[in-house]
Amino acid sequence: MPAYYLEALTITLGLILLMAEAFVPSKSKAWVGILAALGLAAILGLTTIAIGPEAKPDAAWAKWPLWNFYQFDSLAIFYKSFALVCTLLVVLLSIDYRSILARFTDHPGSENGTGEYYALSVFACVGMMMLASAKDLAGAFVSLELVTVTFYILVAYMRRNIGSLEAGVKYLILGALSTGFLVYGIAWVYGSTGTMSLAALPSSIANLQSTTPLLFGIALIMIGLCFKIGAVPMQVWIPDVYQGAPTPTTAFLSVGSKAAGFILTIRFLEPLLANPATSGPVLKLIFILAIATLIFGNLAAIPQTNFKRLLGYSSIAHAGFLLLALATGQAETADAPGAITVVSFYLATYLIMTLGVFFILAQVRIQRDGERIHDFAGLGKSNPLLATALTILLAALAGIPLTAGFIGKFMVFSLAINAGLWWGVAAAAIGAAAGFYYYFNTIKAMWWTDATNTTPVTLPAISKLCVATLTVATLLFGFWPQPILALLR
Amino acid sequence: MPSYLFWLFSTIMLIGGAAVIAFRNPVSSALSMVTCFVGLAGLFIGLSAFFVGIIQILVYTGAVMVLFLFIIMLLDLKDEEKRARGFAPLAAGLALVVAFVVQLVGILSQSADKTAPDLDKQTLTNAAAQFPKDSKIAEALTDGRLPDIHLIGHTLFTQYNLPLQLLGVLLLVATIGVVTLSKRQAD
Repeated sequence: MPAYYLEALTITLGLILLMAEAFVPSKSKAWVGILAALGLAAILGLTTIAIGPEAKPDAAWAKWPLWNFYQFDSLAIFYKSFALVCTLLVVLLSIDYRSILARFTDHPGSENGTGEYYALSVFACVGMMMLASAKDLAGAFVSLELVTVTFYILVAYMRRNIGSLEAGVKYLILGALSTGFLVYGIAWVYGSTGTMSLAALPSSIANLQSTTPLLFGIALIMIGLCFKIGAVPMQVWIPDVYQGAPTPTTAFLSVGSKAAGFILTIRFLEPLLANPATSGPVLKLIFILAIATLIFGNLAAIPQTNFKRLLGYSSIAHAGFLLLALATGQAETADAPGAITVVSFYLATYLIMTLGVFFILAQVRIQRDGERIHDFAGLGKSNPLLATALTILLAALAGIPLTAGFIGKFMVFSLAINAGLWWGVAAAAIGAAAGFYYYFNTIKAMWWTDATNTTPVTLPAISKLCVATLTVATLLFGFWPQPILALLR
Repeated sequence: MPSYLFWLFSTIMLIGGAAVIAFRNPVSSALSMVTCFVGLAGLFIGLSAFFVGIIQILVYTGAVMVLFLFIIMLLDLKDEEKRARGFAPLAAGLALVVAFVVQLVGILSQSADKTAPDLDKQTLTNAAAQFPKDSKIAEALTDGRLPDIHLIGHTLFTQYNLPLQLLGVLLLVATIGVVTLSKRQAD
């Protein structure tokens, strides 16, 4: 099966969902979400039999100009599967979250306004899958805009909730600004090298007399990308938008959108790092961004009292760790994973831990009507099992040994030490220490703070299954990371 | 294009652009923007980009600006005329202008001047070799005409086919978004 069928099928799934949602009369819209989840799972299965043009060079489709914009390697498969798994979990999360979505959309008593949410998530997934195959800046830009425009809608989806609307406006304005930076940067890269194809960039760079205009363009593109991955200097939107957006959207933003930003960054940096004229300044730029992001994200998270906002800062902090891994620019060797492998592995563990936390957060939001750390108090007494799961997930986010989060952080540290980035190691150590403090604050609230609200939180079946799976996966990959690493070979 | 036409259209553009921010009345500003776009369209046509020039007038000057005017009239922006101008926006605007000028001067001083080849019959006939013999594009090129609409269409639907289709999905998503975010509340 030609690889682009994956995206085509995902678009078709989105269209089917829209049509079915509009024409099938039904009171509850949960089945739309279940249909979306089943479709995404089927497409996820199909990634195993998808092939690129190299596998079948004689076929008619292998000669189409499409392949100038679309590459299909193991990294593309990994990030396509990543987008699909993330969307699948977000759709499942929004099925259980639909009572809140319904309250703030069409009419509190009906679910009529919630059906499009699932279709939009699927369309965002298409954009992320296309970004995984990015090969040309023009094509990548269109895919990135597909993701961003979909997120404008998903963030503001609860249009009768003032917080969601405010978040939507903030995201729209800052997103448009960052898009401006990105396009302007692409124009500079095109103007100085004469090509937008990433494959043709290295040879064009080698012929350049002066790299100043190119480096200027790269810096502008990096500003645009920093918005997507949530890194300094474009991190200001994160806390407000994360707090205001519907919880499934926040989860999607913090995992899917961030991973899409990182795969585009990886694709964009690959040709630049191949040339010594650009690799030095580019790595230095990313290194500075990484340190600033690590310090800002971790230290600003400490005083937070709202849990969703805390997760926003924590997502900035994790972007800092990921950028630090990229800044080492280490290539893959026989006995040590390279920067790209480490980033991909870290993102995979980040998906598992973060989405697990969001599943629990969504139910606490619904049943205790609050998202403050205070609202988690007493969870250890009323729901010991749930509290244990959340403790494991948060400990993994902090990076406790024997959890998946530890292995990711350990790999980043060893990369940075091998590359001799000592300032980066110091910033990461400060960040990790601060991380222990703010994640354990929530754990402390759960187990040792007396609660005013002792109603036990009951997880619906889907959430229960997902939380259990994700928690077990967090522990499992903590001492057995080989399956994820094998996917990256 | 004769250089006096270049200066004429550039002057129209600059006057239009300056008038956008100089006028207090939003409607006058929007109409000045139309002037600016007409000058830009003239420049495009002077550079042999006829299709882009016409589209500039049809889409931006026509459709987009009418939409702008509609919104301005719907919002009834009376307060805008009374508002005092602060120093900060002026300084930020000037800083942006200076940044752009510095960049342009930096690049133009570093790169050698190049002249685009004239679009005479010889160049066009040579270009025809890249297209199938009896295609519309090749015929027009051998006749010494520039089939720019066909060329743009050809590029869009062959080389840039994938991004074009993705843009279709993007427009669909935007439409869904407008409907879901603005539909009337059911009773």
